[in-house]
Amino acid sequence: MSTRPASVATLLARRVIACVGAGGVGKTTLAAALGLGAARRGRRVLVLTIDPARRLADALGVGTLGPEPSPISRELLNRLGVPPAGELSAMMLDMKRTFDELVMRFAPDRAARERILANRIYQHVSDALAGSAEYSAMEKVFEMSARPEFDLVVLDTPPSAHALDFLEAPERLIGMLDSRLVQLLLHPASSVGRLGLRWFQRGAHQAFALIERITGFGFLEDISEFLLAFEGMSEGFRKRAQGVRALLFGPDTAFVLAATPSGESVSHARDLLARLEGHGANVVGVVANRVRSWPGATPPLPTAEEHGAWRNELARAFALANAGDFPSEAAAVAALRVLDGYAAAVARDRQATAPLMAEAERRGCFVRCIPELARDIHDLDGLADIERRLFDDEQEKT
Amino acid sequence: MPDGLRPLLDRRLVVVTGKGGTGKTTVAAALALAAAARGRRVLVVETGRDENVPRLLGHGPGPVGYAGALTPCGAWAMRMEPYAALSEYLRLQLGVPGLVTRVLEQPGFRGLLDAAPGWRELVTLGKVWHLEQAREGGRPRFDWIVVDAPATGHGLTLLDVPRVVGSAIRSGPLRRHAGWVEELVRDPARTLLLPVALGEELPARETVELVTRLRGQVGVALDRVIVNAVEPAPFPAELPDLDRRLAALPATPGPSPGVWSACAAHLAARHELNRHFSDEIGEHTALPVVELPLLASGVRTPEDLAVLARSLFAGEAA
Repeated sequence: MSTRPASVATLLARRVIACVGAGGVGKTTLAAALGLGAARRGRRVLVLTIDPARRLADALGVGTLGPEPSPISRELLNRLGVPPAGELSAMMLDMKRTFDELVMRFAPDRAARERILANRIYQHVSDALAGSAEYSAMEKVFEMSARPEFDLVVLDTPPSAHALDFLEAPERLIGMLDSRLVQLLLHPASSVGRLGLRWFQRGAHQAFALIERITGFGFLEDISEFLLAFEGMSEGFRKRAQGVRALLFGPDTAFVLAATPSGESVSHARDLLARLEGHGANVVGVVANRVRSWPGATPPLPTAEEHGAWRNELARAFALANAGDFPSEAAAVAALRVLDGYAAAVARDRQATAPLMAEAERRGCFVRCIPELARDIHDLDGLADIERRLFDDEQEKT
Repeated sequence: MPDGLRPLLDRRLVVVTGKGGTGKTTVAAALALAAAARGRRVLVVETGRDENVPRLLGHGPGPVGYAGALTPCGAWAMRMEPYAALSEYLRLQLGVPGLVTRVLEQPGFRGLLDAAPGWRELVTLGKVWHLEQAREGGRPRFDWIVVDAPATGHGLTLLDVPRVVGSAIRSGPLRRHAGWVEELVRDPARTLLLPVALGEELPARETVELVTRLRGQVGVALDRVIVNAVEPAPFPAELPDLDRRLAALPATPGPSPGVWSACAAHLAARHELNRHFSDEIGEHTALPVVELPLLASGVRTPEDLAVLARSLFAGEAA
């Protein structure tokens, strides 16, 4: 375990940065801000996003993101402080159509392709086939990172019930095709070695009989037809899956984990951090997003005994500064309530994020806290502000 | 609370869904707490990998699991485990427990199931249907069932799966059972879907899309949207410019006038932002919106849940 925390600058040397975290923690904004930061440091960057805030996309002049990279105009890049060497493009991952594309690419011939696309099971399940959308997204990253016009691909990972689905998807799909049960369903006569054949076949037949009793006649036939068509694709599929895996878990990819300051989000993030490292992923940074914090240093706050004195002092100050009919007492009470509420929120967020920050530091990750902003990030200034905070070296020392 | 809404407790089944991070689980727990306080036999079904509801309802550190447990606040809580639900279903159907266990324990069968789509959602809803039907001592075992469903995309899959199975499978008991589950989901007298949103741009947009797709595709009853974590108005109505008045003071005790005013302005801007997108949700879904207040110290205890429950059940008999 490293003792020196990683620097944000290490991100710049990678080919892929993957932003991971539960839904709703701000991965899209984080991906855009990291992309901007890298472009400002002279990299040619592609941000791959799932669901960009429409107004953010509008602000970047890429309101209609499609399945091909849209470059952000030179004029905007100049305004954002991106030097001539730097470039920034954005692209939308269409999670719905990508699986059809996979079939198109890997089906051995036209007949096989049409057999798959027309299969009754495929039509109903291709969207839901375990991890298929996640797998397709990974494919796209692989393809884009190999393009010579980009130095770096920043990925806003797919929303997923379990954030690791997308990493485990290729193995699961291939595992299913390779399983002895599926092989027996596909090739009843030849697939199993002689040793233990009878025992295995008896078990498998029990399983098939059971499925048939529940699902009725014909379902297994549809399934095996689907799998048989799919099997022809598995060689190309397997090779690609290995390539995707080598890229994601190799030295060229860095993971940045995002979380928000709630107990649920923090425990999810800690779990994800441990599991990513278990997979051999390079988690280099942890970003706590929307943390309510003081503007500047923590100010002095009233103790319980001081409350009354502060209220009187405030009421006097309000009375002096305003016209005679101004409700100074009520204003003092309201102002103190604002301060108490704000202090409670700051304390709560600090307490919620502390375990994650400690864990991240122990693992040698860089750690950043992005304060909750009063408005959604939907303009260039907001994005530039987040970028500054991410790449701010001062924070690195604290 | 908008007028003219049917009481939440009128429906037997309430399915809570929404974008990740909107507080679905908190809302599900608050609903259960309030229903239990009204003397209902209520069950919360959590569908995620983690158990968060029992802790919110005051249950100790141990898991409640698939078997479920009665929490100290009087509501039952359980966590859906698809393999356990599948095993239970097959035993009930086939009546040969030994065979079911043998087959389910085969590594090959497990490998097939791990990759196979849809069955988790189907057995999850199937179990909910079974619980809705269950009777004890001549009356329903549970008066009210709250499902803490997965986030939007997966939540839609969950509700749509009986229909998909019905059209993918040609015959057999599974097709019939999927039909029963589909009937329950589509029956406005028994089932209500409760979307939970936040008053921010992306969750608002996703909620509008969710409502559109639910209406077109699933046909489940919707009658309101919950907008969670709305920053309360920080200033009293007669002092709308309190932040500017603070900034204009020559001196303040403790924080400087600038810092004090900045905190006030921040809360006011968050309030406006949340209210703005809450209104947008109402406008674009044409549904009444029920706002829940953001609690500055977070939602950690049954007392915090009770505050949210008051907004959820405002206008309904206690």
